[in-house]
Amino acid sequence: MAGAVGRINLLKLTQNHVGGLTACAKPFGCASMGIEPVPQRRWKSSAHLIKSLPKAKYGGRHTVTMLPGGGIGPELMSYVREVFRYAGVPVDFEEVPIDPSNDSNEDLEYAITSIRRNGAALKGNIETKSLSPNVISRNVAIRNELDLFVNVLHCTSFPGIQSRHSDVDIVVVRQNTEGEYAMMEHESVHGVVECLKVVTRENSDRVARFAFDYAKRHGRKKVTTIHKANIMKSSDGLFLAVCREVAKQYPDIQHNDMIIDNCCMQLVSNPHQFDVMVMPNLYGSIVSNVICGLIGGAGLLSGRNYGYEYAVFEPGTRNTGSAIAGKNIANPISMMNSAADLLHHLQLENHAVWLREAIDKTINVDRIHTPDLGGQATSMDVVKNIITFMQAKTKN
Amino acid sequence: MASGVFRRLLPINRNYCNVRYASTRTVTLIPGDGIGPEISAAVQKIFSAAQVPINWEPVDVTPVKGPDGRFGIPQAAIDSVNKHEIGLKGPLMTPIGKGHRSLNLALRKEFNLYANVRPCKSLDGYETLYKDVDVVTIRENTEGEYSGIEHEIVPGVVQSIKLITEDASMRVADFAFSYAKANGRSKVTVVHKANIMRMSDGLFLRCCREASKKFPEIKMEEKYLDTVCLTMVQDPSQYDVLVMPNLYGDILSDLCAGLVGGLGLTPSGNIGLNGAIFESVHGTAPDIAGQDKANPTALLLSAVMMLRYMELGTYANKIEKACFEVIKEGNKLTGDLGGKGKCSEFTDEICRKVESS
Repeated sequence: MAGAVGRINLLKLTQNHVGGLTACAKPFGCASMGIEPVPQRRWKSSAHLIKSLPKAKYGGRHTVTMLPGGGIGPELMSYVREVFRYAGVPVDFEEVPIDPSNDSNEDLEYAITSIRRNGAALKGNIETKSLSPNVISRNVAIRNELDLFVNVLHCTSFPGIQSRHSDVDIVVVRQNTEGEYAMMEHESVHGVVECLKVVTRENSDRVARFAFDYAKRHGRKKVTTIHKANIMKSSDGLFLAVCREVAKQYPDIQHNDMIIDNCCMQLVSNPHQFDVMVMPNLYGSIVSNVICGLIGGAGLLSGRNYGYEYAVFEPGTRNTGSAIAGKNIANPISMMNSAADLLHHLQLENHAVWLREAIDKTINVDRIHTPDLGGQATSMDVVKNIITFMQAKTKN
Repeated sequence: MASGVFRRLLPINRNYCNVRYASTRTVTLIPGDGIGPEISAAVQKIFSAAQVPINWEPVDVTPVKGPDGRFGIPQAAIDSVNKHEIGLKGPLMTPIGKGHRSLNLALRKEFNLYANVRPCKSLDGYETLYKDVDVVTIRENTEGEYSGIEHEIVPGVVQSIKLITEDASMRVADFAFSYAKANGRSKVTVVHKANIMRMSDGLFLRCCREASKKFPEIKMEEKYLDTVCLTMVQDPSQYDVLVMPNLYGDILSDLCAGLVGGLGLTPSGNIGLNGAIFESVHGTAPDIAGQDKANPTALLLSAVMMLRYMELGTYANKIEKACFEVIKEGNKLTGDLGGKGKCSEFTDEICRKVESS
């Protein structure tokens, strides 16, 4: 079931009369989805800056920021480059390494500027080795700074992989910038620490609308809100109330809600009852990981982070994989899936479809599995198989 | 179960002598809402069939409006639990999004129940997709994300405070390692998210590290919450004892319960400074209340945990054995376990087995 699935293009480009391509400041990607952008009063958005920068497509070739991150990130990125090279994909990567042990945020700021310039990025998991509580997690900083307010993880089972449940098809839509990841903590007195979880109506509204619109566009029937409003009455209560309000505007789509602990129990015993799930940040992390575990592990699925102006693609479970770095046993499929998502986003549909078919064939037909899937193959074996398939397709 | 540990952790107080030497002890019983009353009755019936030397004192914890206008647990209930120091509780209802604060939380705060222990073991006779699960989740029970401190700063922006203190974290960390040692467990995994919540989970992690130094024979590992979620559903046998702050504990303990068959089969104990309350953790199931369809296994196994805590191990073993045998035989199972039996038939069958053993 890892075949081609429709994707939302948040970055539709318009041509100005001079012939170049400019991005319009109004987030019309969302307008094309029928979502009216919420007036941007409060959060940091640089839409007014983007108006004057052309989006990075020059001479028919796209430029995409590449953030390898740590652990297995660099090797997976090299595989993506190889595959793109053999398939003749018109994408150039602007690689921005971020030094994990450096406390200064220079690399991070350069990376963010690069993504603003290019509009799209492919990302591994960035390590933040600093122990100082003042240094914010770099992954979180990127998401918050670029206002990538939603993370979408489309989880489908692979028929060629042994797992306890088959035919799982769940879309996890997760709020990506606030909630428990607001990263505002302080120690009031010694030994007493407070950590703030922030939930706003605007962000909840955006995410809920995205989820329902996604469901509508892709013919999904049901959206489930996951929350813990019995305990966190105000914060998750607000999130739930907003989801219910948005649900009323989509009468064709069924809406129900479930408490997170019950949800985890149900996922483990009967994941087929879920269709699209929408939830705040932390629960999204938990649910994504549980579903990835049910399907076959961290090495398979890809996650998409969307904002009004930018899109960042990464492996779904955001693991660094330091333990297996450099050993040629990391599973490259999640990064390949992210690359396919990127290709869809850049509207290179042919290449996207071929890459998905290559992944499908490798995992389900040829069954070339790395050790995390119970096989004996190396990462290079998987990549070579994909390259062979792509070469054959691009010859025609 | 961990009677030795519990004994060491209880401060010596004047009531302790009563607990130890009285021949018949009194236990506070909180039947609860929904199916609570019928399953409590089932447990009482089984206990009398096994001739356990326990008197029950049922109390009602429905909140009453205090003189300050706020809802609280009735004084009679508080006095009862403080006197007897042991309680058995059925499911309580908490309304979503409004109404009084969760009663479960109020009970925990009132009696300083700082650790929640939930052993999840695969049951012989009730097969799930996961075999050989044997995990104990120990969760901090009083603070963390459930401190209940929330406010709307400006319209549309809500802030919820997660509180982590050194005292509470040290307490639960010490308990977790002591529990592991007393029950012959080899490994304690600390579950946290200190890469994101550096100060709060960082403090929790530091406390766990300190506690682990006092127990060098128990192996300790630290894992991120996402990694644990991912690997738990793939291979639960790699985990032994898990210790974590409140919210993660809530979710992970329910996840582990799902692996073994759901909340209808999972016992749970809340350990406090001055006693313990054992409870069934499933919901009140209002849709089947009063129809003799409820499954008393969770409350029964919690009562068995309670017996072990009270050092009545022989009775505990007898009742537990009977219960597992009935589940294994499989012909009197209730609806949630896939059978067609009634609660009363299930209870009677266990009573029969207990009396004949």
